[in-house]
Amino acid sequence: MKLSPDERWNLIDSIANQVVTYGKYRHTLKDAIGELTVKPMAGIPIAIAVLYGFWSVFGSFAGTLCTDGFFVKLFDGYWLPWLQEVFPGKGSWLYSILIDAGGMTNGEFILSNNCFEAFGVLTSGLFVAIGVVLPAIVIFYLMLTLLEDIGYMPRLAVLIDTVLHKIGLHGYAIVPTILSLGCNVPAVTATRILETRKQRFIMMTLLAIFIPCGAQLGIMEEVIPELIGYVLLYLVIGYFIFGFVLNKIVPGKSPEILIDVPPYQKPMIANVRRKLWMRVSSFFKVAVPFVLLGCIIVNVLYLVGFIQWLGDILAPVFVGWFGVPKETAGPLVAAFLRKDLAVAQLSVIEMTQYQMLSAVVLISIYFPCVATFAMMLKEGWKELIGSVAVLAVVVFLYGGIIHLIGKLIGVA
Amino acid sequence: MAEKNNLAMICIAILGVVTVAFGLADILVSAGGDGTGLSILEIPGDMFRGGWGGLIVLFAGLFYLSGCKNVAEVHNASKVAMGSVLIWIMAGTDIFAMITESIPGGEDGPWFNSLSGFLGTYAPPYTPAMFLLPFSLVVVYYILKQERTKSTTPP
Repeated sequence: MKLSPDERWNLIDSIANQVVTYGKYRHTLKDAIGELTVKPMAGIPIAIAVLYGFWSVFGSFAGTLCTDGFFVKLFDGYWLPWLQEVFPGKGSWLYSILIDAGGMTNGEFILSNNCFEAFGVLTSGLFVAIGVVLPAIVIFYLMLTLLEDIGYMPRLAVLIDTVLHKIGLHGYAIVPTILSLGCNVPAVTATRILETRKQRFIMMTLLAIFIPCGAQLGIMEEVIPELIGYVLLYLVIGYFIFGFVLNKIVPGKSPEILIDVPPYQKPMIANVRRKLWMRVSSFFKVAVPFVLLGCIIVNVLYLVGFIQWLGDILAPVFVGWFGVPKETAGPLVAAFLRKDLAVAQLSVIEMTQYQMLSAVVLISIYFPCVATFAMMLKEGWKELIGSVAVLAVVVFLYGGIIHLIGKLIGVA
Repeated sequence: MAEKNNLAMICIAILGVVTVAFGLADILVSAGGDGTGLSILEIPGDMFRGGWGGLIVLFAGLFYLSGCKNVAEVHNASKVAMGSVLIWIMAGTDIFAMITESIPGGEDGPWFNSLSGFLGTYAPPYTPAMFLLPFSLVVVYYILKQERTKSTTPP
């Protein structure tokens, strides 16, 4: 059957009349709230409030409830004393590596009082992995998943787009940036959402240097809660300064993007549960072995005297240029294996508050942990070499600048 | 209807002024370094809850004030609703912090808190955001009711 053009249009009209419902579009409250969150004047205060809520819940759940409320008591009060008691060979190599590295006073082996100081695989290793990192990672990813599923993340991407363009990135760079606050490893993979090699290189370098992971944040919350704000401030400033410089010197393009902003919606529990499980389990598969392995390697390096030797060699740089005690050389070596362990190690070194602040910032901007390093290698060896070169320059310069700031304000 | 809107405007404006005052008080007190308390009201002195948090309470007040005129209009209603959301974030995190403090038994105590210790955590003083919480709920109830009426009214 052949239809004339008029007959075809009539047929189209009759089908459309049957399947399309016409109505008047009404701007709802939900639409208006959705628009409000992407306008800078209203969106920035809302973003400030969302971030406040994020960190407040993070600190209350991970710090106050889980770690301080239960895990410190469990590990320091029961687990550590029990292992110290039942494990044979106090002071031996195996005992130091697995249970308690302790300390020697007048030729006598002194046991540690808590899991931060013991530094054994079965004590500090498990405490950091389960008692500190697990609650921090669970609550971090839960909050992030909720923000994603509600539909807030694309709005944050729109809001921050202009700022991120100044450092050669665009709004969606907020995804790897925030993911990196959980763990740098999936964040390196998430840099693939950026279009050009230049953008991916800048993002990977910045997150490896300036974004502390959830494990590190959890430890900071536990060890230096009063300084964490200043540490983050230094890191945010560094993120933008060095991002701006990288954008100027790295060749390549930084194209514009169009972001599809979905309406706000109620998150589905099944989706939240699935995403949370996927993220937490993959974090544990990748990170926990490195925490435990990190404990072993660092203990062995201490026992053979390598860290002492390195500390002596690097002392002029550490003391003179960075303004931190030479003992921080050990944690800096450990930071390559796990940055969270390194911050925990810093807590037992005697130093001023500003030195502690400088040392924690140095550990954060120092070499990415070995898991992130492996992930960056997968993304391309040229990028990795470039990132490491940038990192070396940034650590030296920024470490010196922080020391200088301390001197100028009279606290270093 | 117009009279009802005028009344709503006055109430939201008053709430906005009080919220702005609380926000400024939070910021000023935290800038001074020490927290302060007036019987059941406590203004935190730390930079996180007092400084950052105070800024959010201040923004909430400004949202109320910018949206209070003709709250029947959807864009103004959304500003007022957003002011309430900011108050909920502040008060919600304060309540969550109380809950997390009330459950464990303390460093040298038993695993879980005693009943009196648990209940004692919820006793006053409260932060300004917690005092503003009930009013913010009323405001949002009013806006949602208005929105429902509009959606059922034929255009």
